[in-house]
Amino acid sequence: MPRRLTIGAATILTLVVLWFLVTSVLGLIAPGRFPSPQATIAALDHVLFRGYAGGTLVEHVVNSLRLVLLGFLVAIVTGVPLGLLMGWNRTAEALINPVFLIIRPIPPLAWIPLAILWLGLGDGAKIMVIWFAAFVPSVINAYAGVRTIEKPVLEAAAMLGTPKLRFIVEVLVPAASPMIFTGLRLSLQASWTTLVAAELVGAFYGLGRVLNVAQQDLYPGMILVGMIAVAILGWATTKGLGMLEARALSWNQAAALAGKG
Amino acid sequence: MGVIRFDNVGRVFGAKSNPFVALKEIDLEVGDKEFVAIVGPSGCGKTTCLRLVAGFDFPSSGKVLVDEQPIRRPRPERAVVFQQFALFPWKTVHDNIELGLRNQSVAKAEREERINRILELMNLTAYAKHFPHQLSGGMQQRVAIARAYVLDPDVLLMDEPFGALDAQTRVVMQEELVRLARRNPRTVLFITHAVEEAVYLADRVAIMTRAPGRIKEVLDIRSIREAEDWDSYEKIEDVMDLESFVHLRTHIWRSLREEKAAATA
Ligand SMILES: Nc1ncnc2c1ncn2[C@@H]1O[C@H](COP(=O)(O)OP(=O)(O)OP(=O)(O)O)[C@@H](O)[C@H]1O
Ligand SMILES: [Mg+2]
Repeated sequence: MPRRLTIGAATILTLVVLWFLVTSVLGLIAPGRFPSPQATIAALDHVLFRGYAGGTLVEHVVNSLRLVLLGFLVAIVTGVPLGLLMGWNRTAEALINPVFLIIRPIPPLAWIPLAILWLGLGDGAKIMVIWFAAFVPSVINAYAGVRTIEKPVLEAAAMLGTPKLRFIVEVLVPAASPMIFTGLRLSLQASWTTLVAAELVGAFYGLGRVLNVAQQDLYPGMILVGMIAVAILGWATTKGLGMLEARALSWNQAAALAGKG
Repeated sequence: MGVIRFDNVGRVFGAKSNPFVALKEIDLEVGDKEFVAIVGPSGCGKTTCLRLVAGFDFPSSGKVLVDEQPIRRPRPERAVVFQQFALFPWKTVHDNIELGLRNQSVAKAEREERINRILELMNLTAYAKHFPHQLSGGMQQRVAIARAYVLDPDVLLMDEPFGALDAQTRVVMQEELVRLARRNPRTVLFITHAVEEAVYLADRVAIMTRAPGRIKEVLDIRSIREAEDWDSYEKIEDVMDLESFVHLRTHIWRSLREEKAAATA
C-alpha cells in the first residue's frame, strides 16, 4: 500500500510539474485556453475569500454537497426497497417493470428542463433530477441482488421457520447487499453528474453555477478550480460510501480475500 | 414423534408434452427415531425424496406423510442439513445456530445454554464468533448440523452432508454423528453415495434404482449391528473390518452395480 501511495504521489507531482512547464515556462498553451498553476491558485484565492458567482467556495461546496446527498438519499430510500420488492414478488415485478422499461431509456439529464419548469431554479428541481438519475441503478441492482440469492439459503431460512419481517431484515437484505452496494456506488456517481449538469443549466449557487459563470466570464482558472472541487467531492463521497460498504460487508470482503489467498 | 411415510409416491418434472419421471411408486416408512439411509446412482431421485419430506417440493401422485399428516410447508420440526451447507455467510457461527431458536421464541438464557451445549458437542466452542468463510469445509458442515440439531427436531433430513469433505474429515464427522445419534436418537433420513457410510450409520439402508427412481431393496442393518455389537468398537475402521460389515457392504455394491450395468446396457 505505501508503495502504491508513493507511485500515486509521484505521478501527480510529475503531472503538476509538466503542467507548470507547458503553461508558464514554455508557453506551449495559451493562458486563455488552459490556466497556469499560478492562475489557478489565484482563482482559488478569489473564490475562497472574496467569493464568486454569488458565494464563496465553501458556500458553493456546501450547497452542492447538500443537494447531492439529499437527492441520493431520496433515490436510495425509494429505489432499494422497490428493487427488493420487484426481486421478491412476481406480481410487483410484472406491475412495475413496464413503467420502468419506458422511463429507463430517458437520459436523466433530459428531465432537467421539465424539472426546472415545474419547480424553478431552486433545490426542488435538482433533487428531483438527481432522484430520477440515481433511482435507476439502485432499483436494478437491488432487484438483481435478490434474484441472485442462492436457493438453498432461502430454503434454509424457510426450514428454520423465519417469520417474514425477520426474513427480510436478516436474510433477504444481507444476501442482496453486495449488489445493493454496487447500485449505491453507481447511484452516487449519477447524483454528482446530474447535479453539476442541473446547476450548469440554472442555479443560484453551487459548483455547477461556478463553472457556468466562469465559462461566460472566459475565466479558465476558475473553471479548473470548479472542476477540481467537483472531482475532490466526488472522490470523497465515493470513499465514504466505500468505507461504509467495507464495514457492512466485512463478512463478504474477507470471504473474497480468503478466496484469493 | 416423527414417522415418515412415502405412500406410492410419484414425482414428474417438466412439461406435460415432455414429462420426466423422477420418482415412481415409492413406498418407504421411516419409524420414529429410526435412522434410514438412501443410496442410489446419481440422478435417481434421492434429493427429490428428501425435498418432499422437507416441504420444499410436493409429490405429483401418492402421499408423503409425517405422523400421518400431509406436509404443507417447511417446518423446523423437520430440520434439513444441506449438501452445500447453506449457512448464512453474514452471520457468525453463533448467530447461524441461534436463528432457528429465536424463530421459536426460545428465551435468551435457554438459547445460550442450548447453543453452548451443541457447540461443545460439535467441537465448535472456540469458533462461536467466527464467520462461515473463516472455517474449513468440515467445520462449516458441523455448523450446518448444529443449526439443525439445536432445534431438537422430530425429523432430521441430511442430503449427502459429508459429500464435500475429504476422507479423513469425513470419518471424524461420521463418528461424531454416530455418537450424536446414539446419545440423542431421532428420526433421520440420510442420503449418501457412500456405501460404507450408509452401512456404518443407518438402521436400515434403502437402495434406489436409476431413473425413474424406485426403492429396489431395503436392508436391515440394525439387527446385524446389534447382534455383532458394532457399537462396542470406537473406530470406524474396526467396524469396517468385521465380516458382517463387509458382507453388507458387498451386497449393496452388487446391487448398485446392477443398476449401473442396466444403465449402460
Ligand atoms: N426441479 C426440477 N426440475 C426438473 N427436473 C428435476 C428437478 N429436480 C430434479 N430433477 C431431475 O430429477 C432427477 C432426480 O434428481 P435428484 O436431484 O433427486 O437426484 P439425486 O438422486 O439426488 O442425484 P445426485 O446423487 O446426483 O445428487 C434428475 O434427473 C434431475 O435432473
Ligand atoms: Mg442429490
